[in-house]
Amino acid sequence: MQDRPSFAELLDAVREFLETEVAPQQSDHRARFRTLVAINALTILQRELDREAQLVHDEAARVAALLGREVDIPDDPEDLRALVGELNAELARRIRAGDVPEGTLEHLRRVAAAKLAVASPRYLARYET
Amino acid sequence: MRRATGGAIYSGMLSIEEEYRVLCAAFDAGVRVPRPYGYLPDVAGRDAFVMERVSGETIGRRIVRNPQLASARAVLPQQMVEELARIHAVALQEVDFVPGPRTPPAVGAYLDGLREQLDTLPDAHPALELALRWLREHEPPGHGLVLVHADFRLGNFVVDEHGLVAILDWEMAHRGDPAEDLAWPLVRAWRFGSDDGPVGGIGPVEPYLERYNELTGRRISPQDLFYWELAGNVRWAIGSARQGLRHISGEERSVELAVLGRLAAEVEYEVLHLLEQVA
Repeated sequence: MQDRPSFAELLDAVREFLETEVAPQQSDHRARFRTLVAINALTILQRELDREAQLVHDEAARVAALLGREVDIPDDPEDLRALVGELNAELARRIRAGDVPEGTLEHLRRVAAAKLAVASPRYLARYET
Repeated sequence: MRRATGGAIYSGMLSIEEEYRVLCAAFDAGVRVPRPYGYLPDVAGRDAFVMERVSGETIGRRIVRNPQLASARAVLPQQMVEELARIHAVALQEVDFVPGPRTPPAVGAYLDGLREQLDTLPDAHPALELALRWLREHEPPGHGLVLVHADFRLGNFVVDEHGLVAILDWEMAHRGDPAEDLAWPLVRAWRFGSDDGPVGGIGPVEPYLERYNELTGRRISPQDLFYWELAGNVRWAIGSARQGLRHISGEERSVELAVLGRLAAEVEYEVLHLLEQVA
């Protein structure tokens, strides 16, 4: 096990540095914009760290159920991502062939909302008002 | 001056010389564009063209927000349709080199293009498949073939306090359905976070559509506009994913492009939101 700072704490240290020391120093507006984008990227990663494992697990279970497939959900995160990729490809093929499973639209909306909860929560909130 | 970049040219994009000729045709048709001055075949090894320097704001987020541009926002949607009516009146034989179908309706070719681009993405996108399926099953009647700008939206306009000064970035121009251009500024990404109306985030749809139909004698319906808005969102969902891939593949390393790859989910969500309205 690594000593502290933890993964999250180290990530936060970099974000704080960019926010308080780098961004205010940028006079060129393009460079300043890119610094803000980089800060946003780190903020995405912080949210991802907290939630992604659960989200991918849930997505695998849901898409498998939608397709009527019984799958063992792997513990290894890479295997899990590969499985979700494979199931999504199967869903895409079925949609293209006109064999759209019941509940597909609602399923896809939930998956996209789960992605946005990590990547862009403020955008998602605009749909709720 | 606009000079060739030497980078990859996507299929369907105009060369610098062709873009210059489209700009000239638009200028001759009275469209608000920077006055074209001339095409230069060799500027330090690449071709280029020179046009009038115009001043104003181009950044979408500022156009929808800046208090000094409130007067521009009040007139911009009407000016946009007036310009579209002029662009769509350019005689096609003057720009016969632009890509696109030779016979209407254009929607089939447009959907083929989306299919082709979607197939170049490495991962499956079931949400976009679902939208393409709906679009295939609901093809609207065409509205003829015209010169479409194909990136007609805030961000490609020069705007000052009186409104629209000039329309830039003609490299995507092609033969297509006029509703393609009319609906593109409604795509949520081009509202730049503003909710003051679907047209560019700054205006309502009804007067915009009515004025266009009045000026052109066409009868584009709200349903047609919805169809092309959905198609436009699918196009931009694919576009965002491709931006992310440009970073990942090393074609253009950039933190902005990398984050855009993640923000493709925003466009996908909007696609599904629109599909829910017709489900």
